[in-house]
Amino acid sequence: MHDIASLSLSDVWAGYDGPDILKGISLEVQPGRIVTVVGPNGHGKSTLLKAISGLIRVRRGDITLSGRSVLPLSPHRIAATGVVHVPQGDLLFPNMSVYENLLMGAYGERDAKQTAQRLDEVYALLPRLAERHRQIASSLSGGERRMAGIGRGLMAGGRILMLDEPSLGLAPLVIEQIYDVIGKLRAQGRTILLVEENPARVADLCDDMHLLDDGHIVWSGPPHELMGRDELLAAYLGG
Amino acid sequence: MLDTVVTVLTTGLTNGALYALATIGLSLVWGSMGMFNMAHGAMLALGGYLTFTVCTQLGLPLPVAVIAAVAGGALFGVLLYLVVVQRLLARSTEHFETSVMIATAGISIALEEALLVAFGGQPLKQPFTVSGNLHLGQSVVPLLDLADVVIALIVMGLTYWFLSGTKMGRAIRATAQNRDAAVLMGVPVQRIFLQALAISGALAGICGVLMSSVTQLTPWFGDDPMLKAFIMCVVAGLGNLPGAIAASFCLAIIEAAVEFLAGARWGFPALLFIVIAILIWRPAGLFGRSQIRRL
Amino acid sequence: MVNFIKDRSSRWTLPADAWIGLLVIIIAVAVPFVIQSRYLLGEVILALIWAGVASQWNLLFGYAGVFSLAPMAFFAFGAYATAMLSYYLGWSVWLSIPAGAIVSIPFSLIIGLACLRLEGVYVALLTFAVAQMMYLLIVTDTGCFQQIGGSCVQFTGGATGFSDFGDFGMRPLLHQYWMIGNYAVVCCGAFLTMLVSWIVIRSPMGLAFRAIRDNPGYAMARGVNRFRTHLLVFGISAFFIGLLGGLYAVHFQAIGPTVFSLSQLLFVIASVVVGGVGSFWGPLLGAVVLTGADEFLSDFGEYRSLGLGLIITAFVVFLPRGLVGEIVHLFALWRRKRQSHV
Repeated sequence: MHDIASLSLSDVWAGYDGPDILKGISLEVQPGRIVTVVGPNGHGKSTLLKAISGLIRVRRGDITLSGRSVLPLSPHRIAATGVVHVPQGDLLFPNMSVYENLLMGAYGERDAKQTAQRLDEVYALLPRLAERHRQIASSLSGGERRMAGIGRGLMAGGRILMLDEPSLGLAPLVIEQIYDVIGKLRAQGRTILLVEENPARVADLCDDMHLLDDGHIVWSGPPHELMGRDELLAAYLGG
Repeated sequence: MLDTVVTVLTTGLTNGALYALATIGLSLVWGSMGMFNMAHGAMLALGGYLTFTVCTQLGLPLPVAVIAAVAGGALFGVLLYLVVVQRLLARSTEHFETSVMIATAGISIALEEALLVAFGGQPLKQPFTVSGNLHLGQSVVPLLDLADVVIALIVMGLTYWFLSGTKMGRAIRATAQNRDAAVLMGVPVQRIFLQALAISGALAGICGVLMSSVTQLTPWFGDDPMLKAFIMCVVAGLGNLPGAIAASFCLAIIEAAVEFLAGARWGFPALLFIVIAILIWRPAGLFGRSQIRRL
Repeated sequence: MVNFIKDRSSRWTLPADAWIGLLVIIIAVAVPFVIQSRYLLGEVILALIWAGVASQWNLLFGYAGVFSLAPMAFFAFGAYATAMLSYYLGWSVWLSIPAGAIVSIPFSLIIGLACLRLEGVYVALLTFAVAQMMYLLIVTDTGCFQQIGGSCVQFTGGATGFSDFGDFGMRPLLHQYWMIGNYAVVCCGAFLTMLVSWIVIRSPMGLAFRAIRDNPGYAMARGVNRFRTHLLVFGISAFFIGLLGGLYAVHFQAIGPTVFSLSQLLFVIASVVVGGVGSFWGPLLGAVVLTGADEFLSDFGEYRSLGLGLIITAFVVFLPRGLVGEIVHLFALWRRKRQSHV
């Protein structure tokens, strides 16, 4: 039902104005898989997503989508190729209604019928948004905002959905709801690149896991194998 | 007594509608890209002179002349973006606000001087006019004022429809509210800035025609309304369109009342004192929340 | 603190400034001997006045980060105060010029109290509106304050302003060379103004400016109060801009509301932008270059202000470093190139 594509990073170096934050990242997101990047705060997880969506410049290496490099593209063109970045802290349009926020998600879609159909899908997946669709985004609760952010990302009908710590700062009950939604997306066969601080929380949810420590990927493999490994302890405790 | 009220309200509402139109043009550009367009006053004059040229000098019908003013304003906005704003945006975000203000001040004086060279400094008669009066008991309301208010309200309505009901308008608002998120949605923000300036220019075009119909057409006639429109933007909270419209009407009525009671020269000082008092009380404006620009 | 070291202004060491200063003074002394035409000397006087005003505006905008559009309001205030003190009270101009400069301080502090709590473009907008308000109040002043002969003089001089309220008294002293006397007086005023700008920039206050501009949070944590610092520099600049206003009024023996015009304000801003924002010698160079350009453009009469507007925009868009900034930049490039060859 969705266009499939694989995202691949090879030896990516990137950073903000100062030193490199990402120091040679290589990873692969195969169609239909949920790939998670875990690691402690401040080790480059958000930077990784920003590099993919073109918000920061890649200094070395390459990022390809279905074999074609996205590096020469400006951020809004990368978004148009179907890489949908749901940023940390939602970044909703605060003075627009939920409905308008969702419509903005489908900005690149020319076909009104497609947009309407996706809106129905999003409302079916996230019924809370349907209830609140006329409400101004800045008046939503934290969990609702997060769902609106994910819904807006889904509206793009993108080929790869990138979620930046969707559970950050939410109450445990709400976190469960959010991961419930991600589980449903998995069942639909979506391709997702998920960034998360807590590996245990997402171990059941994903297919591949990568451990990011100080700008390097120090371990990759099936999620449950990561638990209890030295690399994990070193990354989170070793500083 | 009733006469006084009617006179003050007529002047206040007419000016309020015209200020509101100027304010929307300024606020749109400030909200979407953080640009204080000092050339807006000169663009009002450009609209007035374009109508004058097309209608009075070329003898074409008035509607064509008004459309020419709108199109000319939009074109000037596009040029302003391509020649000046684009380069400043590309250079640095930190100094953009001040450098674009200085650059557009330069553009402003250049455009006004160009109009002076082309048309001379003597006041001209704006061909857009409506004769006759409406009698309300003892008091007289000029039909021209009424026509200006109606047209201004129609233009505001169209602007509202454009911003809330069309995809382009929604993208402009989205860019104003959260530029990074808009980029992630695939919105080409450079093109949005261009569109915002073009629309602001078009609004300046029509606003210039209406304004010069109740005052006189000189190369500098836009400076004074621009300054007042800026003040109204600031009172409302920069970038807040509904607030800016409300502030325009309120301040215009206060201005009219002060001018009637204390003499015309005290209107502007009164406005300025109100603004300074409001800003000391609420630095982000009446309806503005700090750091959040609304559109 | 790294920012301070990187700052372009500190690249100039004390000897460099001293050498340039010496050169400027030598040129200033030589000017009356080289330039015989009284008209041209008048233009040089004008350039010096604008250089002084621009240097203070540069202090405000380029160093302290206060985007004030009221320099001409203070200029006019000093000029009007001088003219009115001499006109109504018959004071000697040697007394009324400093008096005008001094009363500019409380005036600027009142405006500063109202406007400087805000930041950036808001300050620009409010100060611009204040200047415009002064202009409107002066030109619409029609009430007679004094009857002189058959005509009526408004308290503020109204649309015509004041004239013949006194001069420097150079004519009886220097006869046909009186213009050189005026030149010497204005020169002293302008150089004093620039010297004070220099001292302020190099003083602890200059450091505070840069701290506020580069890192407001850190500056606040170290006890630098932005509002008070800005108010202080506002007062200092108002004194010197007012002083130059007084010199201007006395030199021309006339002052009117045209000093408030946008083109006058833009000339000052342009001097700084063309010379180089935040570079000490920029305003002087900018004012001299622009006066020269103005002289050249005056052959084209009506295109004069048009040219000024385009010059400002062109510099902001294409040469944001200004002339001095570009020279420093090219010099640095040249030196790096030479070093790499060695």
